[in-house]
Amino acid sequence: MEFEAIIGLEIHVELNCATKLFCDCPNRPGDEPNANTCPTCLWFPGAVPPRLSRDALEKAALICLGLGGELQPVSAFDQKVYYYPDLPKGYQLSQAHLPLSRGGGIDITDKNGKPKRLRIHHIHMEEDVARLVHEMEGRLPISLVDFNRAGAPLVEIVTEPDFRSPHDAMEFLKALRTQVRYVGSSECSMENGTMRVDANISVRPRGTEQMNTKVEVKNMNSIRHVGDAIAFEVDRQGAAVNAGEAVVLHTRLWDPEKKATVMMRAKFEGPCVPDPKVPAIELTPEYIEALRQRLPEMPAARAERFVAQHGLTSEEAVFLTSDPEVAVYFEALIEQGAAARTAMHWLTTQLMPAARQRGQEPGQTPVTPARLAGLLRMLSKDEINAKAAREVLTHMFDSDESPEAIVSARGFAQVSDSDELDSLIDKVLEEQPDAVAKVRGGQKKALGFLVGQVMQASAGKANPKIVQKLLAKKLGTN
Amino acid sequence: MESIFFYRDPDAAGTGSGPLQGLNMAIQPNVLVKGWPTDAGSNALANFTALDDAAVIGRLREAGALLCGSTRMSEFGFSLDGSRAGEALKENAADAEMVLDLMGESRLAAARAGVCGFKPSYGMVSSIGLVGLIPSMECWGLLCRDPGRIREILGTIAGPDPLDFSLSDEPAPDFSARAIEPGKTRIGIIPEAVSGLPGDCKNAFEAAVDEFKQAGFSVREFSLPDMGLFPLVHNIVGSVEASSCAGRYDSVRYGRRVPGAKNWNEMFLRSRGAAFGTLVKSYLFQGAYFQFERFEAYEDACRIRTRLIADMQKLSGQADFFIFPAAAAGNSDPGDFLGDIYEQFAATLFANVTGQPALYLPPASGTSASGFQLTGPRFSDARVLALGEHLVNLRQGGNG
Repeated sequence: MEFEAIIGLEIHVELNCATKLFCDCPNRPGDEPNANTCPTCLWFPGAVPPRLSRDALEKAALICLGLGGELQPVSAFDQKVYYYPDLPKGYQLSQAHLPLSRGGGIDITDKNGKPKRLRIHHIHMEEDVARLVHEMEGRLPISLVDFNRAGAPLVEIVTEPDFRSPHDAMEFLKALRTQVRYVGSSECSMENGTMRVDANISVRPRGTEQMNTKVEVKNMNSIRHVGDAIAFEVDRQGAAVNAGEAVVLHTRLWDPEKKATVMMRAKFEGPCVPDPKVPAIELTPEYIEALRQRLPEMPAARAERFVAQHGLTSEEAVFLTSDPEVAVYFEALIEQGAAARTAMHWLTTQLMPAARQRGQEPGQTPVTPARLAGLLRMLSKDEINAKAAREVLTHMFDSDESPEAIVSARGFAQVSDSDELDSLIDKVLEEQPDAVAKVRGGQKKALGFLVGQVMQASAGKANPKIVQKLLAKKLGTN
Repeated sequence: MESIFFYRDPDAAGTGSGPLQGLNMAIQPNVLVKGWPTDAGSNALANFTALDDAAVIGRLREAGALLCGSTRMSEFGFSLDGSRAGEALKENAADAEMVLDLMGESRLAAARAGVCGFKPSYGMVSSIGLVGLIPSMECWGLLCRDPGRIREILGTIAGPDPLDFSLSDEPAPDFSARAIEPGKTRIGIIPEAVSGLPGDCKNAFEAAVDEFKQAGFSVREFSLPDMGLFPLVHNIVGSVEASSCAGRYDSVRYGRRVPGAKNWNEMFLRSRGAAFGTLVKSYLFQGAYFQFERFEAYEDACRIRTRLIADMQKLSGQADFFIFPAAAAGNSDPGDFLGDIYEQFAATLFANVTGQPALYLPPASGTSASGFQLTGPRFSDARVLALGEHLVNLRQGGNG
């Protein structure tokens, strides 16, 4: 039997707020364990009750708007009850009944190249739980609890079950990551744990409309792993159904080494009780409009503008706008007078790889747009050639000097002076009588050889176009 | 004879200055006082010591009150079984007591001790530092011989606290003494709250109402057909809230950790089972039942609660104050079952459902009248206390 996958995602995004969601502790999970705690987030009896962070609310609301969600006039927190060492009060504050926003979605291109809308059901705020660290003390297994992360502000994005393939999920997550980064609310990196994805997966015979029992898959720490886990789980469920086994509701973990999903102990879940102490959130139309004004240009709109305004292809524009810092850098280059295509070429093939090698973002490197634009200007004026420009770029990473200063100090200037080139050419012609004879005999390849020899003699500084012209003139082949 | 006090402060000596200078205040061990053991009457918090003062403790100290200790309380203040509330006053060991009120405990403890008991409006006094069970129903109550003294105490502890979002944003009301004019004051009675009383209790309550008529107040009846739903709403909403919120009292951190479990989950569940008493456990089980098996009944109870609050607000437009009986079934000794507890508090828990202030006044001496409760709209605490003060002064030949 042929099956169709029905997939929905639940994505947790950790907001880059300075403080936790409900108290003033620093939101720095990576600090010394249990360094960022207080009676509120440790839930001491009688402690100051939760006080919602205004910054977290704003950043969460911006994500909702950025993803096309409709902010709700009233949203409220509920108590999601479960007992585990990572939860000091026996429940997690989340929004089950009245989420922060409803609706929204992301447009992708599906695996057949067709446009596809993947809808979001709702987006809600939630606090994170503590981190458990499992160690061995001799032969004794122990678990340690780090409450630095308890109470960290999260947004959970719950999709409709619109996904039909690993490709859909991966494309959605890439686009989501880009849009959240554009809004500025989160680093949104799966590798760093600031974006976490759970997939709810079920299968049904192709052509039917029923919704079957789903399996939740967790523990994927990259977008690639999400795709692999979905592919595996769809195959596993399909094989199980074909073998006559029922799919039961449970949770599985993705094992990246086995490249398989393995069963996990199921956890109990039930209705949530509204929290009687955390006030409901009421957003006025004025507040929502003010936030909407703060939304930046989103990647899709920016890519369209790059095509219309800078003459890039759609693929080039999408690539440049997939990272907001890269897009900003590109436009800064344009503002500094660089030509669009040259700017894109040098940014994507030279600067970005070099920055990545150094573990930096383009905007974080010493090579500012102004300096790079200066380098590109020298290149366009033939003051240096491309080879020399790449060398200068390397030096620009290590110093604050202008490209002109580096070129002058290190003798990278391209030689374009005819008199200087004449003497170089004459010398090469004396040394290569055979090649000269071949050129005069009509063999054009030999001319290229002679150009190369002149370039070598000039230590790469000669302007190859001018060299070729002069050689042709001297040898009478123009 | 077990001591009235759970804890006495060895450093209680000293002289404060301020409007409450000389007031000797006893609290219960559900109020955070820095350095004091604060077990809220439960083994689940047997090893918990307060790290900070509750907001009200700070304000009481600032006003010159002295804290002499915490009296024994029932587990999380739920029912009066095991509670010594009111006895410190009775034995002249304190001038006032602060008591958790989640079903009417401050008022029934006052009735038991023959003193005044007052439950402020929900949102009148900061709940920072309160270790409780039903966050939307409970608040601190005050016991004192004299309603005027309660008014003075409330004047120092009421008002906004920027850390407590459950408080009203309004500035603290004026708690200075004010006059009551009987001729301009309308007293209401809800017949449905009286009709269920046994004969002798009904007669005693009617004698109490006579005191108002003789004092020149107009007294009228206003029907509230859904009066009988208050216990049901309190029971369902309260138990679900308690069950969900009580997760923080896991006994693992501050109570007794049960040994011998095979894994964390087993240890956790056994410790919780061992920490709570039978009554609280029954309540939590009931709450879990409604949450996970009958959630729609919980939602219905929440909606009914909203309607009851609105109904009471409507009645506030027709009368300035309402008189309620305080005891539903005389002085019967409550049993250990939830049903018995709800029967005992049937007449008082309405104020915890609606958040209204409620003042218990003991009966006038030399009469067959019973004690009764006075209530008004939410945040009318100052006026309710003023009315109580007026009556007490009248009994003493005052208000001339």
